[in-house]
Amino acid sequence: MNITLQINGVLLGAEISPGLRLLDFLRMNGYYGAKDGGCEKGECGACAVLIDGKLVNSCTMLAAQAEGHDVHTIESLGEHPVHGWKTSRGLDPIQQAFVESGAIQCGYCTPAQVLAAKSLLEKDANPSEAQVREALSGVLCRCTGYVKPVQAVLRAAAVLRGESVPSIEGAIPAPEDWLAGSAQGETPATPTEPAELAETEVLPRIMVAPQTKAFTTVGHPEPKVDALKLVQGKPAYAMDIEMRGMLIAKVLHSPVAHARIRKIDASKARNLPGVAAVLTWQDLPRVVYSTAGQSDPIPGPLDTFSLDNKVRFVGDRVAFVAAEDEETANRALELIEVDYEELPAVFDPAEAQSPQAPRIHDEPEYVNFGDSDAAHNLAAKIRIDIGDVEKGFAEADRIFEGDYEVPKVQQTHIEPHAVVTYWDEDDRLVIRTSTQVPFHVRRQLAPVLGLPIKRIRVIKPRIGGGFGGKQEVLIDDVAAHLTIATGRPVSFEYTREEEFTAARSRHPMRFHLRTGVKLDGTITANEMYALSDTGAYGCHALTVTGNTGHKAMAIYPGDGIYRKSPNIRFYADIVYTNHPPAGAFRGYGVPQGFWATERHIEKIAHALGLDPIEMRLKNAIRAGELHPFSTAWSEGREPKPEILNTVGLEECARQGKAAVGWDQKYANPEWHRVPGAPALRKGIGVALAMHGTAIPYVDMGGASIKMNEDGSFNLLIGATDLGTGSDTVLAQMAAEVLGVPLEDFQVYSSDTDFTPFDKGAYASSTTYISGGAVTRAARLVAERICIRAAHMLNSRGGGVEVKPGEITLAGRKAYAPDGREVTFSEVGYNSLHHEDQEQIMAVASFVSPLSPAPFAAQFAEVTVDTGTGQVWVDKLVIAVDGGVIVNPLTASGQIEGGVTQALGYAVSEEMKYDEKGRPRERDLNQYHIFRANEMPELRALFVETYEPSHPFGVKALAEIPMDAAAPAVGNAIADACGAQVDVNPATPERIWKALQSAAAAEK
Amino acid sequence: MISEYHRPRTMETALTLLGRSQPLTYPLGGGTVLSRPGRRGYAVVDLQDLGLNHIDEQGISLRVGAAATLQAFFEYPEIQSDLREAIRREATTNLRNVATTAGALVSGDGSSTLITALLALDAHLAWAPGEKEIALGEWLPLRGRPEMQPGRLITTITLALNVRLAFMAVSRSPEDRPVVCAAVGRWPSGRTRLALGGYGEAPTTAMDGPDGSGIEDAARFAYSHAGDEWASSEYRAQIASTLALRCLRQVEES
Repeated sequence: MNITLQINGVLLGAEISPGLRLLDFLRMNGYYGAKDGGCEKGECGACAVLIDGKLVNSCTMLAAQAEGHDVHTIESLGEHPVHGWKTSRGLDPIQQAFVESGAIQCGYCTPAQVLAAKSLLEKDANPSEAQVREALSGVLCRCTGYVKPVQAVLRAAAVLRGESVPSIEGAIPAPEDWLAGSAQGETPATPTEPAELAETEVLPRIMVAPQTKAFTTVGHPEPKVDALKLVQGKPAYAMDIEMRGMLIAKVLHSPVAHARIRKIDASKARNLPGVAAVLTWQDLPRVVYSTAGQSDPIPGPLDTFSLDNKVRFVGDRVAFVAAEDEETANRALELIEVDYEELPAVFDPAEAQSPQAPRIHDEPEYVNFGDSDAAHNLAAKIRIDIGDVEKGFAEADRIFEGDYEVPKVQQTHIEPHAVVTYWDEDDRLVIRTSTQVPFHVRRQLAPVLGLPIKRIRVIKPRIGGGFGGKQEVLIDDVAAHLTIATGRPVSFEYTREEEFTAARSRHPMRFHLRTGVKLDGTITANEMYALSDTGAYGCHALTVTGNTGHKAMAIYPGDGIYRKSPNIRFYADIVYTNHPPAGAFRGYGVPQGFWATERHIEKIAHALGLDPIEMRLKNAIRAGELHPFSTAWSEGREPKPEILNTVGLEECARQGKAAVGWDQKYANPEWHRVPGAPALRKGIGVALAMHGTAIPYVDMGGASIKMNEDGSFNLLIGATDLGTGSDTVLAQMAAEVLGVPLEDFQVYSSDTDFTPFDKGAYASSTTYISGGAVTRAARLVAERICIRAAHMLNSRGGGVEVKPGEITLAGRKAYAPDGREVTFSEVGYNSLHHEDQEQIMAVASFVSPLSPAPFAAQFAEVTVDTGTGQVWVDKLVIAVDGGVIVNPLTASGQIEGGVTQALGYAVSEEMKYDEKGRPRERDLNQYHIFRANEMPELRALFVETYEPSHPFGVKALAEIPMDAAAPAVGNAIADACGAQVDVNPATPERIWKALQSAAAAEK
Repeated sequence: MISEYHRPRTMETALTLLGRSQPLTYPLGGGTVLSRPGRRGYAVVDLQDLGLNHIDEQGISLRVGAAATLQAFFEYPEIQSDLREAIRREATTNLRNVATTAGALVSGDGSSTLITALLALDAHLAWAPGEKEIALGEWLPLRGRPEMQPGRLITTITLALNVRLAFMAVSRSPEDRPVVCAAVGRWPSGRTRLALGGYGEAPTTAMDGPDGSGIEDAARFAYSHAGDEWASSEYRAQIASTLALRCLRQVEES
């Protein structure tokens, strides 16, 4: 049929299929600002556009329906403020506010959020925060926690009303109301009411380390270097590309949990017109590998094939199809005839350990790692004893035991996994993929594809969120095999349902804890057993669960003699089941561990009649102490002792306690009541956490910097910015060293052909590791600039001869001690064109013998309906020691977003399966993540320490916000009503049942 | 996939198209359901030009056109706050802007807050051709059975404006789909009607009596077997009872 749509004021006619979605029509015509979240019911809203001024999902609307209406996309709003000789209308004030406020992280949902704001503000120039939240509620964001997008909309509204707004460009935010005296017992300030927060507090509060105050770029709230392109909806993501002859790939997934493929007949599918290739296990070489994106050697078993003659979970791969269009590809999937010989399946990890359990991996190619034992469904095993645990228990006054459990949860990045592959003109395979680990993709896929590493080029475009889900070489091989089979470009993008049924997730675990304590609260021995369900494949099996103990059991070595000689036992079995595989998810095993330890320690404190914060701090690790696990375990590699140089945990606890008003609320019966609502009870809870920063001796990042004629620089990094802001903070470090503003850096990340190696974005490593590399490269470049500047100044005469070591760099100039100067532009022209020509550039890398630990104190306030079990989380306050904060905007955005994900872990997120292994959750309605209009008040505080092992004193902060919110909420629920919920999430039914149990116990 | 798209300007043309046996032809409200990929070989009739997007009052009745969007319904000034909340929770802003009221009734499952509220208000549906009327509660069991439909197209949803409504829900997070929700309608005569949602293929009417007596037991009984992978029947029955009683108190006090 023929239609004519008015898009951004321009009429566009086309002949289309009647069923074509508006989203597809827009993207086919170059309006890439409308993003596809892979959902079928419009749950995510990334595709939203304006129809007659109203926000509408373009994925749930036919293109034909839009005829006769006024369609506006993000492309209609604003543009880059400088367009050469052509006058630019610049960014729309809403876009500008999003850039300034740090509201953009991965940017995948940003165009839709901006359009939602546009629709709202055209109707109401002075909306309330609640109205803004409602307007944004249909656009899911997994990165920001919605704090900064809401602030951006309110800021834009003020600008549009002609009001002045506070600058966000200033220096390090002065902690005027910082509660520095609270540690000495001074009265804390009254916590700000939520309604005021969004309008006034764009920047977080930071207790600034003395060393930071001298910096001019590091420590400042610089706008993100990629913000302009993202806020305009530019085609920056993996799927924002069109290629002639590009095929669409689809995967046939297994409907059964465990079966051998007795026979597979793809002839009908292959004969379907429009089908270019169908691949089954019979068509591919049998290469065993691991999908876990990790450095070589991968610390886990090799147990995966691109396609196998056996399926091991509902959703496992059976066949690949490439076709001219999506509909044909889907029809081809239906025509593949598969004869499954169903095998007994096992879903309970405890049963999987039984000798009678069905064996999931019986393939002869299986490669063990460490203690993995496929014959017993054991993907990994950990046995760590530190000190003399039994002696510690013998010395205890009391021993507390408890069982805890955490569920499988999903990363839920709004951009699904997406990849485009093609042969380039040199017959090299190009993989343009949404990945956190481009260099690992290249290395790990080479043998799978039968290509040498040098004939593969991996391009990582902008990533729409990853959270560990894209630390997996998950779908790249599908498109690559099909490109090899057909010789044509192939694109493949997961649907939202595939993200739930055939991607990775957080490992569900069961715990048994046993803790020996003195009556004064001193921990004498601490023991954890973890049973982890890795699902059908052992990707990240060892390392995720190893980190569970490595952090959650390291935070409390004990006090007194036990502080120097802690007694800790951590045993874990990571078993195969016929559930979908688990993998990396922000936190990487640590949130699981802290749910158990922080619920457990809370109960111990109550049982002993001790203040829960004081008991924690009494036993908590301190600066200068040995990380107790550092001599016992290191991600499957040789452990080496590590001293923790900086520990801001105690200060985090004190500052967070003051900010949340702990002393006024905890143990105050009046505060716990809600006037006029006898069924409601309020509660307050705390949990502490520690994490790590990169993998010592393993994680390496590289960086390259080159100087241009105008004194600008290209920063090339292999590090992958998933939305975290790493491109920005890395450039800030380089700018600090070189004495130029951030805008003088063009950052490119990443391409295995052009950028130096980087292990990728995981293990909270980028700011520390890649930042170390960037700083070193910048120092080398600075050295070359100083040499040339000294030469230029001396050639000019007019002063005392200056030596390169005397030159200082600032404000785009090189200064001699007597004030003479050359500009960077003069240096650039001189070096490239005029004299003794050279390209001023440098490459450097960084690897650390330490994994400095960030720390956090997390507080939660809740209200519980004791009649129904419904819980409302009212407030989450977190104080974080992440070392020096390079960029307060991006740092606080990371924390707010991480805490929001942890909030879902606390109360709503959970993946469950029926007796056949079929998933309950298949979309974002069933798997609910928090929306803008249901968020509690969030507050992030930073307590800076200066980590001496890094040139700018940084540690990590990407994962720490994920670790403690769930147990803090669990502890708050217990404080509110006595309900001890030991299995998260704390759903209404679990709380209600815990209340019933508590009531029964009292009788 | 959709093989034909029609946007008729008259009801007669729409009904003719919808009366065809081949291809299968469905009315297209906002498209939020029918635009989904999957099914193949059917035609759609877009209702947007049929003038069915009105919302108006007739005496004590509110008449909501089948194609009125949920957002228009939500913003209608004369509706009660609890009905407004039930509409708001049915879908997010972007979906409410295009999803139609009748479309939500056709496609909503047991967790539909809108259907739960309209059931408690004893809403009626008018169908074309023939303007036949049927109570929402009578029609819900007939959904998905083409041969049992009172007509080819819902044209209007009618509800009484003088019925006090209370709506409450329990969910994992404030905006999550409810695992249990309850709505109680109270007529000036004392007639009291309880609807429950959060379970099964559609919300259900748990009680319709001359007053509110027995409402707790009615709720508990209605959900006594309402167990699934989202909540146990024990929990749902108890919470339905609790919410029903709370709703009753609210309508009695208002």
